[in-house]
Amino acid sequence: MKTPIFAFTLSMIMCLGARAELKWEQTTIELHPAANDKQAVGHFKYQNTGKTPVHFKSVHASCGCTTAQSQKEEVPPGDKGETTFNIGDRTGTQIKTVTVETDEAINQKTVLTLKAEIPQQLEITPNFVFWKQGEKADTKTINVKVGKDFTVKHIKVTSSTPDFQAKVEEAGNGQFKIDVKPQDTNKVVASMLTIQPEDSQKVFYATARITNAPQVQ
Amino acid sequence: MKSSLVGQVVILAALALLPAAGEAIYFRDKISWRSAIAPSEMVTVEQARGWGDTAIWVDARPDDEFANDHVPGAISLNEDRWNELLPQFLAVWAPGKKIIVYCSSLSCNASREVAHRLRKEAQLSDVFVLEGGWEAWLKKNR
Repeated sequence: MKTPIFAFTLSMIMCLGARAELKWEQTTIELHPAANDKQAVGHFKYQNTGKTPVHFKSVHASCGCTTAQSQKEEVPPGDKGETTFNIGDRTGTQIKTVTVETDEAINQKTVLTLKAEIPQQLEITPNFVFWKQGEKADTKTINVKVGKDFTVKHIKVTSSTPDFQAKVEEAGNGQFKIDVKPQDTNKVVASMLTIQPEDSQKVFYATARITNAPQVQ
Repeated sequence: MKSSLVGQVVILAALALLPAAGEAIYFRDKISWRSAIAPSEMVTVEQARGWGDTAIWVDARPDDEFANDHVPGAISLNEDRWNELLPQFLAVWAPGKKIIVYCSSLSCNASREVAHRLRKEAQLSDVFVLEGGWEAWLKKNR
């Protein structure tokens, strides 16, 4: 009985010695992007420390985030590279994983974790207001709430077309109301409302639209 | 001989259990759990197909996957380019239309996130997540 167990243990040790040809500098990255940053990108650096080439079989992000590799699919011994992971237009607390699969004998799958706290300067709800064609052209309100850790005293709102008027009202406690009113609801039109906090380059958007009247089924 | 074999199997199983337990503890916080969603907000391929033209298909996958192939007539709306793509989606939306959001497979989470943002930020109703995603659609349609 001792011989098979010894053989098994020995084979395990040998396998462990041959593993991890592709060494990752770190498998978890924590990002703290500033409010004005347009992108939050994690750079996971690796190096092939083994003696044989390593081939990437797949790079799969659980969230559907954009991933990219700076190198080709094959990593020769000694070569370095990185896998980047773009958090995109996501906001708030983000914990996303990317599974990298290689053709190594052991440790074929590596899970890379990107943690990011994307500060949200303005919370806009709803970011879409609409009127059905022919509906009364009443005013509809978009609420804007300034995120914690931010101070915004004024916001500027502009409509991309003259079909809608937007008026800003300060509601106190870091909140604003944007009253949106269409000129009329006779024709199907849309407008992009650009919302810009004072003293900030970051721009936020909302959409106002006159929609087709729903079809009777 | 037989008891010896059983003994070895037990020992090997016990040896395998140790790293398995370690991995479960180590990766405990690294698993991307899917966002919770009510069963009433899920839709099967068959149900979705039955809605015909009263539904809009929304592809929550990254741009390259959408460009590769997608449900005919689907609109791309992913969180990578949310601010840019949302107005394009809203331009084709109409009151009364059902919205079916899908991502790549049963295990993906992007469709749930997009559906959540459509409900919360744009305050749209009738937003559904396709069970099984693109893979399920392919199985039923190709």
